[in-house]
Amino acid sequence: MRWIRQLNAETGDSAEVLGGKAHGLVVLHRLGLPVPAGFVVTTQACRAFLRDGRLPDGLDDELATAIAGLDVVSVRSGAAVSMPGMMDTILNLELTTTAAARSAVEAVFSSWNTPRARTYRELHDIPHELGTAAIVQRMVFGNRDDRSGTGVAFSRDPNTGANVPYGEVLFGHQGDDVVSGSSSTLPLRELADREPTVWAGLLDALSRAEAHYRDACYVEFTFEAGELWLLQVRPGRFVGAAAVRLATDLADERVIDRHEALLRISPQHLRHVRTPRIAATSEVLARGLGACPGVATGRVATTADAAVRLAVDGPVVLVRPETSPHDMRGLAAATGIVTARGGPASHAAVVARAMGKPAVVGVSGLVVAGSSASIGGRTFDENTLLTIDGTGGEVVLGSPRVVTNAADAHLHRLLRWADDVSGDRSERDEAQRLSAAHAVLRR
Amino acid sequence: MSGPDLLVLHALRCVGTAGLERVAATTGLSESDVESELIDLAAAGLVTRFAEFGVWSLTETGRTADAERITAELESAGARPAVTEAFDGFLVLNPELLDLCTAWQLRSVDGVMIANDHSDSSYDARVLDRFADFHGRATVVCAQLSSALPRFGRYRIRLAEALGRAGSGELEHVADSTASYHAVWAELHEDLLVSLGIPR
Repeated sequence: MRWIRQLNAETGDSAEVLGGKAHGLVVLHRLGLPVPAGFVVTTQACRAFLRDGRLPDGLDDELATAIAGLDVVSVRSGAAVSMPGMMDTILNLELTTTAAARSAVEAVFSSWNTPRARTYRELHDIPHELGTAAIVQRMVFGNRDDRSGTGVAFSRDPNTGANVPYGEVLFGHQGDDVVSGSSSTLPLRELADREPTVWAGLLDALSRAEAHYRDACYVEFTFEAGELWLLQVRPGRFVGAAAVRLATDLADERVIDRHEALLRISPQHLRHVRTPRIAATSEVLARGLGACPGVATGRVATTADAAVRLAVDGPVVLVRPETSPHDMRGLAAATGIVTARGGPASHAAVVARAMGKPAVVGVSGLVVAGSSASIGGRTFDENTLLTIDGTGGEVVLGSPRVVTNAADAHLHRLLRWADDVSGDRSERDEAQRLSAAHAVLRR
Repeated sequence: MSGPDLLVLHALRCVGTAGLERVAATTGLSESDVESELIDLAAAGLVTRFAEFGVWSLTETGRTADAERITAELESAGARPAVTEAFDGFLVLNPELLDLCTAWQLRSVDGVMIANDHSDSSYDARVLDRFADFHGRATVVCAQLSSALPRFGRYRIRLAEALGRAGSGELEHVADSTASYHAVWAELHEDLLVSLGIPR
């Protein structure tokens, strides 16, 4: 076929042709891991569509062949470079005719050129002519029964770099519910007790993916009636202290050598290594997305007025469903901000960064009612002492230990390796020591 | 046309708590006119003044009165269909505006998001250029709104002013100050929700 590739272990095209997501699915096939049946309409077809304003000749026939045996499918975008959330996804599409497949592919291709997507590419130096692929796969239903569900998993903890699987699981739901934050997720570990076979399969998948990428990995998965399916894989993209720990651990495990460990850490990562963090031993009440780094401890206020009132007596953490201009006084008075809804580009996140205040957004399961709030069944009133970590997104009751040297041991080892490479052991700052090693290694 | 009392009442509804200067900027009225309206509104129990901060905000009664009067204005002008359509356009633009503000505040260097310290003027110029492109599309929505209800006309003026000042080097007018593009946009969001009676 000219415009379509089957998703299987034999597909040899690059991520430029298949898009990153489909390329990852081919990797999963090669690793012998379970991937729902499907095919990908290539980025070349998208480029032809963008150029001519219609799908290329011959695609209809290819689609008619490719959809044989598929009934209900998802149609997802996937470009060679990541553009998270910018393009359309179509779920639960009944493939009764070729025309249904055709119009779904057209919709995904057209979404490449929304003004928002164009702006994103301009800002991130992504060429407009790349185009996206469209992945058509049999739907697996995380909402089929009580032995079904969906989740996301990292092979290691992206907050600390520690070698333990980390992620979230949602029983009885489809994948978009995890991403949208509309339902409360559970820690990944819950899978071990409730679905031991799925858990074992997931651990196996994470370990094979790590060995392939020689890096920490991220996967999206769904399990349907107790059977595991993988929907996406990519390297973990750790930053800061977690990146430092990951690189030194991988070198110790002899997955990579010390020179590669050094090259995987950019001097930029070191900027974040010293950001204060809640100590890893603290009991986490809830987790959201870190939107502005730093730790804030203060008494809970659930309205802007309360924040202004309580701030007279000491630091305040403003806890809101989401924020609006009405909350500006409260945001200004607070030392930290928590919201139930919203992502890293929400109003709360934008304002928190403008004010340089630690913020955690998108805490799923957080409910604010009057002057109290609850998370996962635990209620806390106004005035309760709360601590938040705007890097990892942790929310902790009370005033836990805060550390600024979480990666010290690993960082010191990495920098010693750097000095070994550069041969320079003079007193310099950390970024300079690393950069000197990079200069030698890249010579 | 909305009377000055409603303009002032509704400005407070959309911006939250504010001083005279901010209400004047929002409404386009002079500070002394704003003050005399506020005094009358306070006498009617609709607004209250926090003397220690020199700021004003709505009372519960004021909030209810504003909702009633804004709805009545919308219906009597027959503006609901046009404002609803413009709100749909606003919702398409809103995530892009938030992307732009995020790009203004953070940039990715070697895969790490770091605060944009505004030392790279070519990066800032690129983001502002996208803001200008965005503004062209935002203007269409603003024009739809102001032709439905003249009081919406202030948004286009204030957004253009924020962008102009940011472009001439006052960088806080992008996402930081209360007159910033982001702040005015957020007020417009609140205004549209209140005008159409959509709860947050």
